[in-house]
Amino acid sequence: MAENLDNQNNNEQPKESDSNYWQSFKELYKDISFTEAKKLEFQKGVEDEFDVDKLPAVSRRKFLALVSASAALAAAGCSDYNGNGKIIPYNTKPEEITLGKPNYYASTYVDNGLDYGILIKTREGRPIKVDGNPDHPVSKGKTSAKAQSAILGLYDPERLQQPLRKTTSGNFMKSTWQHVDQEISKSLSNIGGKEISIISSKIISPTTLKVIQDFQQKYSGAKLYSYQIFNEEIKNSAWKKCYGSGLFPSIKWNEAKIILALESDFLGTDGNKVESSRMFAEGRNTSDLDNFNRLYSIEGNLSLTGLNADYRMRLRPDLQFEFVMSLVHEISKQGISVGVDPSILNQYNLYDFAQKNSLYGNVLQLLVGDLIKNKGAAIIYAGRSLPENVQVAVNLLNEALGNTKLYTQDTIELPNSSLSSTSDWENLVQSMNNGEIGAIINFDTNPVYHLPSDLGFVEAVKKVPLIVSLTESENESSELAHYVLPISHPFESWGDAQTRLGYYSMQQPVISPLFYTRQKEEVLLAWISGNYKENIYHDYLMNYWQSTIYPTLNEMLDFNRFWLGALQRGVVNTGNIPKSVGNFNKEVLVILNQNQSNISGYAVFLKEGYATGDGKYANNGWLQELPHPVTKVTWDNYASISVATAKQMNVEEKDIIEITLDDRKLKIPVVIQPGSADNTITIELGYGRSKCGVVGQGVGFNANVLMSKSSAFGPWIYTSASIRKTGDTYDIVSTMEHHPIDDPLVSGVVKERKIILEGTVSDYKKNPKFIQEQRSMDTATLYNRLDFPGVKWGMSIDLNKCTGCGECVISCNAENNIPVVGKDQVKVSREMQWMRIDRYYSGSAEDPKVSLEPMLCQQCDHAPCENVCPVAATNHSNDGLNQMVYNRCVGTRYCSNNCPYKVRRFNFFNFKDHFRDGYQESNLFDLVYNPEVTVRSRGVMEKCTFCIQRIMEAREDAIRDHKPLKGSDVVTACQEACGTSAINFGDMNDDKSEFYKFRNHELGYYVLENLNVRPNVTYLAKLRNTHSEEA
Amino acid sequence: MNIDYTKELALVEGNPRLADIDEIITRPLTQPPTRKYYIALSISSTALLIGAYSLWLTLYYGIGMWGNNIPVGWAFDITNFVFWIGIGHAGTLISAILFLLRQRWRTGIARFAEGMTIFAVMTAGIFPVIHTGRPWLAGYLIPYPNQHLLWPNFVSPLLWDVFAVSTYFTVSLMFWYMGLIPDFAILRDQTVNKIKKTIYSFFSLGWRHSNRHWRHYEKTYMIMAGLATPLVLSVHTIVSFDFAVSLIPGWHTTIFPPYFVAGAIYSGFAMVMTVLILVRKVFDMENIITLNHLERMAKVMLLTGSLVAYSYLMEFFIAWYSQIPAEQYDFWARVVGPYRWAWYFMISCNALIPQLIWFKKIRRSVTVLFIISICANIGMWFERFVIIVQSLSRDYLPSSWHMFTPTLVDFGVLTGSFGLFFTLVLLFAKTMPVISIVETKSVLEGAQPTVHGGSDHE
Repeated sequence: MAENLDNQNNNEQPKESDSNYWQSFKELYKDISFTEAKKLEFQKGVEDEFDVDKLPAVSRRKFLALVSASAALAAAGCSDYNGNGKIIPYNTKPEEITLGKPNYYASTYVDNGLDYGILIKTREGRPIKVDGNPDHPVSKGKTSAKAQSAILGLYDPERLQQPLRKTTSGNFMKSTWQHVDQEISKSLSNIGGKEISIISSKIISPTTLKVIQDFQQKYSGAKLYSYQIFNEEIKNSAWKKCYGSGLFPSIKWNEAKIILALESDFLGTDGNKVESSRMFAEGRNTSDLDNFNRLYSIEGNLSLTGLNADYRMRLRPDLQFEFVMSLVHEISKQGISVGVDPSILNQYNLYDFAQKNSLYGNVLQLLVGDLIKNKGAAIIYAGRSLPENVQVAVNLLNEALGNTKLYTQDTIELPNSSLSSTSDWENLVQSMNNGEIGAIINFDTNPVYHLPSDLGFVEAVKKVPLIVSLTESENESSELAHYVLPISHPFESWGDAQTRLGYYSMQQPVISPLFYTRQKEEVLLAWISGNYKENIYHDYLMNYWQSTIYPTLNEMLDFNRFWLGALQRGVVNTGNIPKSVGNFNKEVLVILNQNQSNISGYAVFLKEGYATGDGKYANNGWLQELPHPVTKVTWDNYASISVATAKQMNVEEKDIIEITLDDRKLKIPVVIQPGSADNTITIELGYGRSKCGVVGQGVGFNANVLMSKSSAFGPWIYTSASIRKTGDTYDIVSTMEHHPIDDPLVSGVVKERKIILEGTVSDYKKNPKFIQEQRSMDTATLYNRLDFPGVKWGMSIDLNKCTGCGECVISCNAENNIPVVGKDQVKVSREMQWMRIDRYYSGSAEDPKVSLEPMLCQQCDHAPCENVCPVAATNHSNDGLNQMVYNRCVGTRYCSNNCPYKVRRFNFFNFKDHFRDGYQESNLFDLVYNPEVTVRSRGVMEKCTFCIQRIMEAREDAIRDHKPLKGSDVVTACQEACGTSAINFGDMNDDKSEFYKFRNHELGYYVLENLNVRPNVTYLAKLRNTHSEEA
Repeated sequence: MNIDYTKELALVEGNPRLADIDEIITRPLTQPPTRKYYIALSISSTALLIGAYSLWLTLYYGIGMWGNNIPVGWAFDITNFVFWIGIGHAGTLISAILFLLRQRWRTGIARFAEGMTIFAVMTAGIFPVIHTGRPWLAGYLIPYPNQHLLWPNFVSPLLWDVFAVSTYFTVSLMFWYMGLIPDFAILRDQTVNKIKKTIYSFFSLGWRHSNRHWRHYEKTYMIMAGLATPLVLSVHTIVSFDFAVSLIPGWHTTIFPPYFVAGAIYSGFAMVMTVLILVRKVFDMENIITLNHLERMAKVMLLTGSLVAYSYLMEFFIAWYSQIPAEQYDFWARVVGPYRWAWYFMISCNALIPQLIWFKKIRRSVTVLFIISICANIGMWFERFVIIVQSLSRDYLPSSWHMFTPTLVDFGVLTGSFGLFFTLVLLFAKTMPVISIVETKSVLEGAQPTVHGGSDHE
């Protein structure tokens, strides 16, 4: 045979037939009709069939499908951004798109006045996933759940697709940009000395600010109002009073050994969560026990930060001032000079206060000792919601204890615009009522929903002759507008941002606008210049940078090369950070002499929603369905109260209560939250949108109505609320059943079954093997232990680092095309998320200890799901994975029944179709799917696969490069997203890898080890950093 | 009511003539359906239609129409399956095991019980197919040679079920048909209707009541009985493996095979009792299906019910003895947990109420027996519900615990399964002899040769 081949090779054959594969003689002989047909790609007639006109009558769904199909076509057609201003992919070989290979682009996502450096993964020109930009000095490769979910917002079929104009009958009519530009510019020019109010959220982009200045130059009556429903204004103003100027600095959490968080959820919603949780976790390395930080948290409601506290006490938020003053007094008694008049301090006594408010005196004693012992390495952090006097007292304490070393200077001297004050808003409303306002421009804001009701904004705004709303999708404010102008999604927009000194974040679009939208700056620029042209803002941005920012940078490169580099990295470093905090101004301390306002009734604390933010994300199914980190509730907000308060109110979970604050009322259902302070009602905002897309419409309750323009404790804390039981109930659904914490049958379960093993730092110091000693013995088995030579995949999760934030869940959703199922399905326990974070309470209902445990498929060696599947649809791979073959699955659900971890998910419906009447069926929605992962049909079981698609990609690369596949070549989606690097993944057979250490850690254990299913996810036991003398 | 148990009771009462037997048994077949029959049929077929509609909803939209969830992946579907398989146990037990044990009293009830077995297994057989998420692919469970060299997973108990149930069905059907052949011949000889004659001729396979036919028949019947006997024990043993082989607390129990078999016989006898009490009344067959028959069946129920009760106690003992926390918790949760009402139902219907049968007065009261048999049916359905739903809803990780709430469609499918069963039973009663004509004749007084020619034989 070999000879024959050789002979053939020696014979000279015509070259052509070597290289041309042919399928028919027609092709071989170059038949003209065939070559013609080949060019057409489809046979004649194949394309004819899809004729919209011929389709039967248009139902709503078909209409949506058609609309989005055309949008999808547009998207696919326009995906090449060439010619719309050069954008530079992040990776090194950017020239063209390789089919099947993703491109990553650095960009910036702005949320709530903070910038997140992101990398957007695009496939064939279509953005499909968001991760953190590793070059971004604050984000460092991680990003928030909200930024990750923004990708879903990009493909939201309910985004506005073209400008709308209100007709005289009050209905909106579709219009064109040309038309609305003309009309609005004309009206603005003829405004006649009246004010044009631009209402914006906090602007952190220098170029956007410049656009607005230009606008003000063109239209002299223009005035900028900005608000941010959650902001740092109180902290900043207290800082200004204490230090004369500047803004509150960011904190070096990683250097703090003692952290006292006062009503602060710095790991959740308070400040830049991505940065602070990363730095916090850096201080919880099991390999560095001497620098293990200790977190004290004193708060009114169990927050994400409280979940992670070593010591946690509950206190109603309006009593924080008294607490801090007592603490100041106690510390001054210990010989630390605080500079406060003793006559003031003598009114306060820490231990009396503790007794009165059921705080633990012994813990406070430890706290005081810790603060004094760790002078300069401790930080006391007051939540942004606390009133100014608390902030000043906390600043004083940090100053007195020398903790100012932990302040970083990069946020102190930011040139950003500050927000408008309450009196600004009052003046605006006054002017509107007086007819002095000619136009209102909602610059991507929703003031009707956000502004306090007692401001009277809604009534006043109706008197304004011209209201223009710039928004991505319709909202409460756009309903009142005369023109609704659709703006581009951030991923379709250019921009820059500055939230720290020392760097600028660059934003570049990764897809051209899907609809007839313009980015909000372009809209203003068009009105300034009078004519719109494509790339108008891109050119403006480049010009501004070239003329204003570039000269200050001392760059060696010429501007164009600098610009491309900046876009590629997503960040421009400027490198000049002022070095000093300034001197503490003792005169400010008179504020501490203020008589405490009257505290009575119930305290109401309004908090940013973990998922929905200020309501901006209400139409985002991923976020709505992300279980609340503490209560695991999805699709709703609620009034969170303590067990004792529930008894006192005589309410049970799901009862609706009516909360009254002066004349503001709200009806909202109750959730009884262990660890809540008594007489405190905590409500998350961002829900109850009355005008929103079909996903978020009417989800939850609008607690913004409780906000007032003036409150003694700031906009988020209210005292003297009264409540009334309405007698109605409301279904609140959560992904974990609520079990009575005092049920003796249930309370011991977690420990008895060895679901969670944990201890304290001192336990570990005393006996490094203490976890190993608690583990079950290696159980005998009838079967041979399977051998996995070569690569064997495994995971480790460090529970010391996991804060339970749920970012991994969102990342998994995006990576693995997991559908949103809706509240009705979560109610019957059919949520589809492959990853969940189990939360268990222990101890008392008043002050529970909390244990967290991310749970995903454990890829057991002896997987109990595999042997029960009648059709072998789930089986084991040679590299130790428990595989799921969707095509083979008939859906008996036996595998799920037999899974002790219950991590398998079943498609009870075609969820794509089932949720919200086919909302996810829209073709536009399909664009968000990861093309490497099958979209599962109904009746199929699914589960975590350790991101098999990423493993396969790495394997293909390794084969192509003739290199052995290494564990570190693969990063799973959850690992990539984990802000605290709690998740590690790799080859457990590779004893030289970093991962091997985690797998064989002294603190490592498996969940439910005694079942002998041999799971491959190692958990590193949580160590609580409590005092050794206590344990 | 003084009965002398030292003497065998007359199996057929009233001393009928042979021709009367023919007449009594074939009467429902020859007379037009009565009003009562139509009412019964319309009720059962309405139930069947409800089931069909519910099933259509399930097939069209998906399993989500039911209340099943994660962790409770199986609920009404498999509960119904095990329930109906259990119902199907009495028939083969009566016809095969009692035949081998020479229990001649089985004659009056055997045919009907066998028929019920067939129908119950047919009803049960629907559930493994429809409970899958993609029933159109259920063929994957059958081992057929294919190009992919893909075989089902032979270590999965669900696959064993496929074989066990299909074997049981086939053997039961053949056994039933065997017994029907001589009766079809009698019917063929009786009828004057051309169509009926053709049908009966076809099914009687040319039976001519010849001695040779009888000899072959008796031998084959014996062999078939021998073949069917182990199946009575194996089917429910294998069904119980679905649970016993898994590792879920409450399922992972070695006691399951005998426990399930006892429970199946208990529920099977209860269902036969329920239906026969109605049939003997409606078709005036009190002389052939006598009170003595009912009493004997009641005794079997007492025995198997007590076995079941013992198993319940044993489960608790083993859970305690095992010292496995999850196992102990699960059993406590049955008594005090959220599904305790189902457990109380189960205990009272299956363990307590049958103890009444110890009393002779109760054993011989048709009304009370009827109520007891209904209770047993309900109780046995709840037993499977408790095992399946309760155990799944409280498995290893409390984080995934969730209750199961049935939907209307769940109840629709359950109703439909009763509809199918009773529709088939009613059609059976109207088209075939519900009591074996030839066997009844053989147990008439004086039918068998004796030395002293009287009723006090042996």
